[in-house]
Amino acid sequence: MSTLMLGKALNEGLRKALEDDPKVLIMGEDVGRLGGVFRVTDGLQKDFGEDRVIDTPLAESGIIGTAVGLAIRGFRPVCEIQFDGFVFPAFDQIVSQVAKMHYRSAGHVKLPITIRIPYGGGIGAVEHHSESPESYFCHTPGLKVVTCSNPIDAHWMIRQAVACDDPIVFFEPKRRYWDKGEVDTVTAPRGLWDAAIARTGSDVTLITYGPSVKTCLETAAAAETEGKNIEIVDLRSLSPIDWETVLTSVRKTQHAIVVAEAPAYSSLSSEIAARISEKCFYELEAPVLRVTGFSTPYPTARIEEDYLPDLDRILDAVDRSLAY
Amino acid sequence: MARASGDGYDAGTQSAQAVQPVQPSEPELVQLLTPEGERVDNPHYSIDLTEDEYRDLYRDLVMVRRIDTEAMALQRQGELGLWASLLGQEGAQVGAGRALTGRDFAFPTYREHGVAYCKGVDPVTLLGLFRGVNQGGWDPYDKGFQLYTIVIGSQTLHATGYAMGIQRDGGDGAVMAFFGDGASSQGDVNEAFVWASVFQAPVVFFCQNNQWAISEPLEKQSRIPLYQRARGFGFPGVRVDGNDVLAVLAVAREALERAREGSGPTLIEAFTYRMGPHTTSDDPTRYRLAADLETWKLKDPVERMKAYLSRNAIATTEFFEQVDREADELAAHIRAGCLALADPDPLTLFDHVYASGSSLLDEEREQLASYLASFEDEKAGAHS
Amino acid sequence: MPSYKDFKLPDLGEGLTEGEILKWLVQPGDTVTLNQPIVEVETAKAAVEIPSPYAGVVTELHHGEGDTVDVGSPIITFDTDPSGEPAPADTGGGQSRVAAAADMVPQIPAEPGLAGGPAPKANTEEKIEVLVGSGPKSGKLTRRPRKAAASDDPAAAQPQPARVSAAAVGAHAAEIAASAPGGEVRVLAKPPVRKLARDLGVDLTVVTGTGPNGTITRADVESAADGSAAATAPPARAAVPAGGEERIPIKGVRKQMAAAMVSSAFSAPHVTIFQTLDVTPTMDLVAKLRGQRDFEGVRVSPLLLVAKALLVAIKRNPLINSTWDDVAQEIVVKHYVNLGIAAATPRGLLVPNIKSADSLSLPELGRALNELTDTAREGKTSPADMQHGTITITNVGVFGVDNGTPIINPGESAILCFGAVRDMPWVHEGELAIRKVTQLTLSFDHRVIDGQLGSQVIADVGALLADPAMFLTWS
Repeated sequence: MSTLMLGKALNEGLRKALEDDPKVLIMGEDVGRLGGVFRVTDGLQKDFGEDRVIDTPLAESGIIGTAVGLAIRGFRPVCEIQFDGFVFPAFDQIVSQVAKMHYRSAGHVKLPITIRIPYGGGIGAVEHHSESPESYFCHTPGLKVVTCSNPIDAHWMIRQAVACDDPIVFFEPKRRYWDKGEVDTVTAPRGLWDAAIARTGSDVTLITYGPSVKTCLETAAAAETEGKNIEIVDLRSLSPIDWETVLTSVRKTQHAIVVAEAPAYSSLSSEIAARISEKCFYELEAPVLRVTGFSTPYPTARIEEDYLPDLDRILDAVDRSLAY
Repeated sequence: MARASGDGYDAGTQSAQAVQPVQPSEPELVQLLTPEGERVDNPHYSIDLTEDEYRDLYRDLVMVRRIDTEAMALQRQGELGLWASLLGQEGAQVGAGRALTGRDFAFPTYREHGVAYCKGVDPVTLLGLFRGVNQGGWDPYDKGFQLYTIVIGSQTLHATGYAMGIQRDGGDGAVMAFFGDGASSQGDVNEAFVWASVFQAPVVFFCQNNQWAISEPLEKQSRIPLYQRARGFGFPGVRVDGNDVLAVLAVAREALERAREGSGPTLIEAFTYRMGPHTTSDDPTRYRLAADLETWKLKDPVERMKAYLSRNAIATTEFFEQVDREADELAAHIRAGCLALADPDPLTLFDHVYASGSSLLDEEREQLASYLASFEDEKAGAHS
Repeated sequence: MPSYKDFKLPDLGEGLTEGEILKWLVQPGDTVTLNQPIVEVETAKAAVEIPSPYAGVVTELHHGEGDTVDVGSPIITFDTDPSGEPAPADTGGGQSRVAAAADMVPQIPAEPGLAGGPAPKANTEEKIEVLVGSGPKSGKLTRRPRKAAASDDPAAAQPQPARVSAAAVGAHAAEIAASAPGGEVRVLAKPPVRKLARDLGVDLTVVTGTGPNGTITRADVESAADGSAAATAPPARAAVPAGGEERIPIKGVRKQMAAAMVSSAFSAPHVTIFQTLDVTPTMDLVAKLRGQRDFEGVRVSPLLLVAKALLVAIKRNPLINSTWDDVAQEIVVKHYVNLGIAAATPRGLLVPNIKSADSLSLPELGRALNELTDTAREGKTSPADMQHGTITITNVGVFGVDNGTPIINPGESAILCFGAVRDMPWVHEGELAIRKVTQLTLSFDHRVIDGQLGSQVIADVGALLADPAMFLTWS
């Protein structure tokens, strides 16, 4: 057990993955000698060599396309897309090739590829470095999508994702890379597809993931002082979703609010709201609310805090929900 | 080894030379068998085959052509929704296909039925995709022949990655990536050239320049002969007469050997002509002249081989008739196989989306199953 | 034997719906080989030569050059086994059986498709088929027939119209009920019902739901708001005495009866009036009728005459045989009488009725009554027997009971109750005598029937039973 930053927890997880299976490769821009722009792959090329930790040409479609070929050959590539906003040149390879290969080959060709993508805002960055594109990938059958919110999950989820035979898009909340937490590297706390109750409560359920989990925890602490007892579900797996955990919580509190950075319109948050409404029709005391970014391109750094869901906006939604 | 430029071979590592403009009427290319069926020499390439091997190549050409014409007929008869014809490209595909060994892996586009045949894939299994009963009815690992890729150029990256895998696991095969002149404009193809050259991957890029990307001629894809593009990326390029199965075989063998021994990629431009439409939905009369077709008929790959065999008494009339009978049998096999390809059961919609399964899909599958069972005429797939 | 095969125009290019025949390359009678070009067709995309799908002899071309043909319709027919009997010349469709006048041998009609007959004509009303997955399919225009719903309530007469939703609601609610942690109150109500509850100030946690699987309906909330018996408080968790309790599930006939009673009792304002009668002449008449030949095999009882008396009273006072139609805001007076008889059966209380009792003779009515009672006693009364009643008689006399306050059968406006016939002291022709005395009770719906009419009806019935000669006077 040790206290690790989330980025470091990922690093140790990747190290374990490379140790456990000689077919695991890491590839991406600047992942080798530099150790990644967020140092998530720091020290790995030195220990595992250039053939396994590969500095690639500056070509995202090439990263994913060659990973497909490597996977067909029997390798387990872990690709890094340097920033969320730069995944789009690779989008065709991901949705047209990676997602469909197992299906169209009737199971003959497996692509156990993990695509790591730092995502989310709140770091005062320039354009294309604060996106939340997870909905595009959740919407694509054939892919699985997960995201960690804390160091111990980061460590175990990357190991489990690499070991999974399906292609997984692995979203890393970049604003949380420096958050610290206890990491037990011996025993996994739960399975890759399980949601976690980040906080137990009774009045309202916040359903959230990735960078917004910490925001929700901070919000719940503040709500306690107002006598509101908030339960938080950290989805962890975005596709597939652990509906049992989500629906059990909503049936208990009878109030559901989804919190995410990505704009609500046509999003994963909307899928969650629709399914809860369908499955918990008789138990809901209020409609499912969504607290998200607005339907605009991600704004400039100086006003991003008005765009992102924060403590006050979440509590505002909690009040509205309880008032029904 | 110095090689003269302007004769279809470009080592790709020379310093800047005068770049030849596109001259489709008189291209420089490697040739070992003329359109009239005469053997000629080439300074860089040669081939030495037994009489059996010559006859086998002829047989391959006839079989491949017959597969294609039978499939075209089946489409016109409504048994296939679509067919991408390789008419005129038999020489290029048989030459490349027969250069590949069992250790090598091929990444085709959607027109390489000739390569599939040479790799031992039953032509009936190619039909499923075009009939709409599956998305590729064969196991790629079985014959080292990947499923067809319809997105233009994507497979060149897959081929490059596969080759990088061979480098990393000590395999001794090579990879051949097939694509057309149109695909050479795609970003993915150019990224594949970058990666293959940077990593010296054991991949041969085999471009069938059949002069057309649906209705767009070569001039829309490149200002210079395609084989010279390789130089920009730092590896050799060679243009070969795509209708000359002997030359293609020789060039492809050499490139594959280079790759296997670790010398990196080669770009082969097989200069040929798409005699048929892009697919059966296309009408070439809208964008090209009948006269062009006539010119290329004189360069037919099958005819020149037949001429060579008869003129040199390597084959007799009986042999040609025997081959024709075999082609008829193959055609009957394809026809029967096509008609027997059944529509899939609706519940198979949900199969193989994931290797590790999905509870959401299990739920949806159950819902569809009970919905279908709720109808009086409980036939799977019955639609009004 | 000839084997005829049609070839239908295929979709030649990803979504085409029709093509024009440019040029036929073969004619009927030609022998063709497989893949031999047979026709040139022009589509929206190109002019295309179509190769023959069969080897054989062309027997018919279905369209001419220049015709536009839909994809999926036959364009040519082949005989793929022409070595069989040659087809006779096309008779031009003559199919009627005509015996030639001069020649007594009847013509055998040539049906299309039979061996030796002409080639089958194209069925141009065939729906468009696209032969292989490509191309647009025409949209559905009719529903595929679904299987009949399996009702899980044996008393339900009709299949539930919204089968899936009802089942799903039930299942969903059952799921919730099953998953409720012990002791917690689960409130199952749709949002509009919750809003109603809030607006009316009703606490949903103390309302018992009567919807599927315990869901609270709008009616439940309204009843609760009215403070009527439909809403109940949760059972007091008092200690159960040593004798214990027995719980009987509410379902089946009892459930139906309860629902009917509730619905009737709390929508129609009931008024009940009573009359005590000397029915000695009726009892004498019953004895006489039993001996008559027309009543052989019929069990004659006083009830038969009470029924007949009510029928006559209805004829004189038609409004008693009607129903209050709240939806249409109309009173429907029925000029036929489906006479209901309340019957105790092994399944519980049922009210089967005799259809068009007013059109039956007395012996027929007697037989009908017997049949009704026998069927009920055997537990074989059908739902149809119990539908469309217009008025009811309940005979409490068989239990030794004199009278009661009967509840009107829903959909009717009155119910007649007939008590026990007793030997009682009576003033008969000015002197005390022991006479056969009984009580009649009539409950009626005061929305439809006022006190005067109700009294008139019971008086008429009484008059008939007191003096059966009145049957003649009022017939």
